[in-house]
Amino acid sequence: MAGVLIRMKLAVIKNSMTGGRAAWMLVGAVFGLLFAAATIGLTLADGPHRSVVGDLLACVFVMWTLGWLIGPLWGGSAVLRADHFALLPVPRRKLAVGLLAAAFVGITTAVTAIGFLALVTYGARQGVVPALVAVPAAALQLVFVVLLSRVAYGLFGMVAASRAGAAITGVLFAAMLVLTQSGWMIVVAIMYSDILTTGFSSSMTTTLRAIPSSWGVVAVDAAGRGDWPLAIGAPAGLAVLCGLLLLIWSAELGNPRRARVTIRGSENHLPAHGGPLSGPTTAIVRKELRTWWRDPLRTTTAVVPIVWALGTVLLPLTFDARVLLPWAGPALALFAITSACNLYSQDGTALWQTLTIGTERADVRGRQWAYLIVFGPLAIALSVGFTWWSGYTWAWPWVAALVPALLGGGAGLIVYSSVFGLVPGPDAHKRPSNPLERADTTGQSTVLFWVGLLPAVPAVAVVLLGERLDLPWLTWVGLPVSVVTGVLVGRLLGSLAIGRLTSHGPDLLHTMRSGRPTAAARKAGAPKKGGLVAGLYWTFGPILLLPQGLIPLVFILTGVDAKSWFLAMYLPPAYGVTVAVTSMLGGLYLLARALRTTVNDRAEAASA
Amino acid sequence: MNEATIQSAGLDDGDVEGRTAALRLTGLHKQFGTKTAVDHVDLVVPQGSFFGLVGPNGAGKTTLLSMAVGLLRPDAGDSRVFGAGVWTDPAEAKALTGVLPDGLSMPERLTGRELLTFIGELRGINAGVLAGRVQELLDVMELGSAERTLVVDYSTGMRKKIGLATALLHGPRLLVLDEPFEAVDPVSAAALKAILNGFVAGGGSVVLSSHVMPLVEQLCDTVAIMARGQVVAAGPLGQVRGDATLEQTFVRLVGGDEHARKGLSWLAS
Repeated sequence: MAGVLIRMKLAVIKNSMTGGRAAWMLVGAVFGLLFAAATIGLTLADGPHRSVVGDLLACVFVMWTLGWLIGPLWGGSAVLRADHFALLPVPRRKLAVGLLAAAFVGITTAVTAIGFLALVTYGARQGVVPALVAVPAAALQLVFVVLLSRVAYGLFGMVAASRAGAAITGVLFAAMLVLTQSGWMIVVAIMYSDILTTGFSSSMTTTLRAIPSSWGVVAVDAAGRGDWPLAIGAPAGLAVLCGLLLLIWSAELGNPRRARVTIRGSENHLPAHGGPLSGPTTAIVRKELRTWWRDPLRTTTAVVPIVWALGTVLLPLTFDARVLLPWAGPALALFAITSACNLYSQDGTALWQTLTIGTERADVRGRQWAYLIVFGPLAIALSVGFTWWSGYTWAWPWVAALVPALLGGGAGLIVYSSVFGLVPGPDAHKRPSNPLERADTTGQSTVLFWVGLLPAVPAVAVVLLGERLDLPWLTWVGLPVSVVTGVLVGRLLGSLAIGRLTSHGPDLLHTMRSGRPTAAARKAGAPKKGGLVAGLYWTFGPILLLPQGLIPLVFILTGVDAKSWFLAMYLPPAYGVTVAVTSMLGGLYLLARALRTTVNDRAEAASA
Repeated sequence: MNEATIQSAGLDDGDVEGRTAALRLTGLHKQFGTKTAVDHVDLVVPQGSFFGLVGPNGAGKTTLLSMAVGLLRPDAGDSRVFGAGVWTDPAEAKALTGVLPDGLSMPERLTGRELLTFIGELRGINAGVLAGRVQELLDVMELGSAERTLVVDYSTGMRKKIGLATALLHGPRLLVLDEPFEAVDPVSAAALKAILNGFVAGGGSVVLSSHVMPLVEQLCDTVAIMARGQVVAAGPLGQVRGDATLEQTFVRLVGGDEHARKGLSWLAS
């Protein structure tokens, strides 16, 4: 059983190692290996005291465990799913063990196994016996995270179709984004604090060590002290937990066709219409608002920018900096663009209704208004509230100049990119139970993150001019300029989208009908390579530009001394500046290449 | 079958019995990569006819109907609804046509009543008239009991019915239905048949595709048989099937596979 399942999984992985997927797997593996190396490196470091190393190692193991909990939610369903085998006459327990064995075959598990070797090196520093205790403990820890991940995914699947589940997915997704983009802030905060010398508080240590992922560290420490009951008890506890998880999992496998959470429609009456609500555009607006409210995928789409904006501006509070607070509203308005950039694909082939009725104009305008109704009030409220909270009075004209242009420009950009850069995903009626199944718009989102800033440039220029000339009234002219830019950009891009939808509607419908994974698999050859290369460009471009370029440059110029993983900070200032600038240029180059590759690929795909 | 049958509903340029054809397809052609899905098809659906398009899986029925109603851009050829070009005068053609495609999404997160109401508003139907029509459609389709269910949670049969309701809402003169009876239970099917027969009796024209021969024989007065992207026979039902049943004619024209008739070796007694 296990052998067959492992071979099956290997075959699936081999067949899915194409294009962008392969690139992401490769990038993921590299980052995973770096993190694993860092984990081992932590146990070999000379600096901190041993008890501090234990605490830090336990912390890192918690992060590994969280990664295993969240990863599958992010990456979609498991390669081999239990319901594929539901009709086979195999006992559940046996199936569970077989699937578990197959779950151990994979890049993630291999990388994690290397990371968990840190427990052995940590033990080795305390002697031979603790190192020997560490070996089975590390193995059990690996089994534990894999099982935990499976069970959590199963349980999560039960709520994922509900709106609450979709919102949770959005929160987790945004949290991952914030941590990967701005996590360096925490590292800086830790380096500035004195945790590395004094260690955690004792209550923190106790709590940390009560978490099962820390029990390996507990066992090794106990073996080091000669506390044998605990040295044996902790791994035994881990083994019992694994057994329990296996039981829960095999029970879960038994009822794969669980009734999902059903979202209900309105009561037995007509939706309000007539009077000021009449007309095709408002009909679309009301349809769209219902969809935003009822579709779990839309819930995720709405939650991600909100949590991303909040997370990004609140993170610096960990080292008591309020400098990002006023930008919560602009951040939301900006990130909403990247999140909602594929609206037509989310509704899939439902486009046939628009085409057979011939209401392309109303459809695009209606979606724009609905977008503004969903994100506009919140962006404005966040701007006002958080700017007031920050106490930075100078920030008001800046925020006022940013938000209307970003919102209006966004309303234009989302429909423009939804029509011109449509990425087909699972069709709307084939994804009722999983908001995680959606089109991969990483490329579009990255482009839009930067392009989305452009509509705000005129208004910001006006504010900048006002500041330079010391004319307070001029800084406030930014607001009307911003409103005008927003309206103009929104209308213009909307008109372009309407034109395209009218002229190319049937082609877009065909893309969504045929461009699903089955068709993508058929398109072998050149585009695969493009996807791989573009994926690498998109990954490393922003890294070179921001954390390895702009940020260390600012740090050097302002005299902040935080080395972290900023290469330029480890060099003498003169060289550091050179390295940072070179890195920024390299990042810009890679981003430009990425854009070109992606656009070319898309053009080729469109003409094919 | 004689030669005349094959051509009877085919290439004649003049309109049928002096009236504009409900649907006229001229040289429609579609190529997907190296596969020719629809190969220069000409077809005329006379006004007031109940037209059945039959063919095996993959014959090109869905592709042909999609091009006919403007949901797929043809590589070549033209489609006209009561003389209005689907690609040259889309507004006129679309107002005259009601479409039920197979397997496409709808605005999924609406209830049936909401969907029909919004579609009606988009079609520009007067609010008072619309409410009555929506209620009547929900009653006839027996969807009223699922008042709070969103379309995404509809069963396959219910999806067909709500799709048909959206196609009928604006009172079209031509209905183009792709596999309307697939997965519909016998009771609902009877209701649908009654609606369609009433529609044709009132002067409307219906084109439906199916691979269920008895159903087509029972409903349609005109048929066309498609295979490998081409129309291999078309004309009034009696002429096309001759003395045999439609199914026998179909198998003879399309050519059943030898392997399919043999069965499986280990299951044979």
